[in-house]
Amino acid sequence: MKKKELKAKENQKIEKTDIILLVILSIWCLIIIFPFYEAVMASLVDGTAFARNPLIIIPDKVIFDNYQVIFDFTNLLSGYKNTLIVVLLGVPIQLLMTVATGYVFSQEFPGKKWLFKLMIFTMFFSGGVIPKYILMRNLGLMNSYWPTILVAAVSTYYMIIIKGSFESMPPALKEAAVIDGATDIQVLFKIYLPLQMPMLATFTLFFTVDLWNSWYWPMITMSEPKLQVLPVILRQVCNTAQNVSEYGDASITESFGTGIKMAATVLTMLPIMCFYPFLQKYFVKGVMVGSIKM
Amino acid sequence: MKVKSSLSVRQVPLKVRMWNARYLYLLLLVPLVWYVIFQYIPMAGIGMAFEKYRFNKGLFGSPWVGLKHFERLFNTPQFLTALKNTLVISLTRLVVEFPVPVILAVMLTEMRFTRTAKIYQTVLTLPHFLTWIILAAIFGNLLNSDGVINTMIMNLGGQRVKFFTDGGIYRAFLYLSSIWKGAGWSAIMYMAVITGIDPALYEAATLDGASRMQRILYVTLPHLKEIFVVMLVLKIGTLMNGDFEQIFTTYNASVYNVADTIDTYVYRITFEKTPDYSFSTAVGLFKSVVNFILLFGSDRLAKRISGSGLFGGSEQ
Repeated sequence: MKKKELKAKENQKIEKTDIILLVILSIWCLIIIFPFYEAVMASLVDGTAFARNPLIIIPDKVIFDNYQVIFDFTNLLSGYKNTLIVVLLGVPIQLLMTVATGYVFSQEFPGKKWLFKLMIFTMFFSGGVIPKYILMRNLGLMNSYWPTILVAAVSTYYMIIIKGSFESMPPALKEAAVIDGATDIQVLFKIYLPLQMPMLATFTLFFTVDLWNSWYWPMITMSEPKLQVLPVILRQVCNTAQNVSEYGDASITESFGTGIKMAATVLTMLPIMCFYPFLQKYFVKGVMVGSIKM
Repeated sequence: MKVKSSLSVRQVPLKVRMWNARYLYLLLLVPLVWYVIFQYIPMAGIGMAFEKYRFNKGLFGSPWVGLKHFERLFNTPQFLTALKNTLVISLTRLVVEFPVPVILAVMLTEMRFTRTAKIYQTVLTLPHFLTWIILAAIFGNLLNSDGVINTMIMNLGGQRVKFFTDGGIYRAFLYLSSIWKGAGWSAIMYMAVITGIDPALYEAATLDGASRMQRILYVTLPHLKEIFVVMLVLKIGTLMNGDFEQIFTTYNASVYNVADTIDTYVYRITFEKTPDYSFSTAVGLFKSVVNFILLFGSDRLAKRISGSGLFGGSEQ
């Protein structure tokens, strides 16, 4: 139905409105791209050329000195390593826990109603950051990757969407397996999940991006420099210099130039920029599933 | 058939039904433990807000002070400023930012160059996936006093604009950059609904002589009402948040008076000074309670006005 509709749209003749729409949306997209483009350009020219004219459309001379400085003088590379560890450790845990919970609540069992309410309640009311922070301290998890991973180990919101996907599976599928002696664990892993691979891929991506971007919990629980994650290091690289140029803060003497800051920024966003265009449809699918289930 | 099966479930004794579900309980065990430890124990930690919390004494050993922290809260000028800012910023967001994704979704689905629309959609949704730390850095390059935009203005003979130090301009920056980041992604939700509308409705409208604008007004928008209300209710339930990440990564001392929100205030008093955990928890609790009331209040209101709301419109 969707395909047909799209085709019908294309066959209609182009009106003035279509040109106006195209112009508005093109400008909108340019406004999105421009800041990224300028960040990349700033990272590729040397400081004096940038100071003369920061608005770079096409650089006169491309250099990679700024990137060299990043590799030599900051711990951005170890930030990469730490972020990767958080993602590789966290995503399987979050995925397993969230999918298992979603599956359980898609089935019928005694106590389902109040257990589900118990979990939903946490979406609308929480103890806040401070009690969670103190809990992490009391558990002796400071300066480890665990608070970052554990604080979001089950995503109630995603769990509800996953529950919806499992509910839409034909009941005969499970009934047949149960007659053959399969347990719920086998039904989940051997029958339901293989049929829900696209959904699984979508949620893997969501969890990966969420953890790749997380910085609040790493910032407050991992103060040791060698444990810091990518965004936290980027913030340190950027903030020192920004403070100097904006407010003349005398307490900060050393600062990085804009080119170096932008090199760090480009390096941080590079993985998402590279993969996103190819994976976009999976992300969109996740939202579609969510919106229909609501 | 559904009724029949639920009747037969009732007849099976509870013990048997629980035994049959043993593997479900097993699967739920670890997540349940997680909910108790990482959600409900911190909720109990709210008790700190009524104590003079000492680390060495713990939650149960610390002396009880009642509502002292809340009294102090409403006598602290910085908190009152933060509260006012949070409400002003959130309400403005509701008016300025919230309708934009609907407009964008309608524009993208109306676009007849469908291939271009697909590419544009990828571009428009991209910023959603980057953290504010990255965006703060690239906006810094653009908007700093010697940044790209200011150089352009100077070259054209204008005056430098203090994007990050002038309160009013900074507020405008908050709203516009938030649209820049999130509108494309939020539009997808509405686009999903629009593409699900029965094409026959549009055809019928065209036969009746409806113009394109009329088709949008009388076919597309009414279909978006339900999801719009759900999103609105959810948004109102976060009115006390004000987007911590964005403000935290872009603000500075010179705009505290217009940009300091409850979340940024709590962060500063907790992690940048000698912490008073009890006081911070009291601030956090106040915020959570107000959000909770707003969410359910607006949900009730939405159900009364439009018949749809959160938790399923059909629920009686």
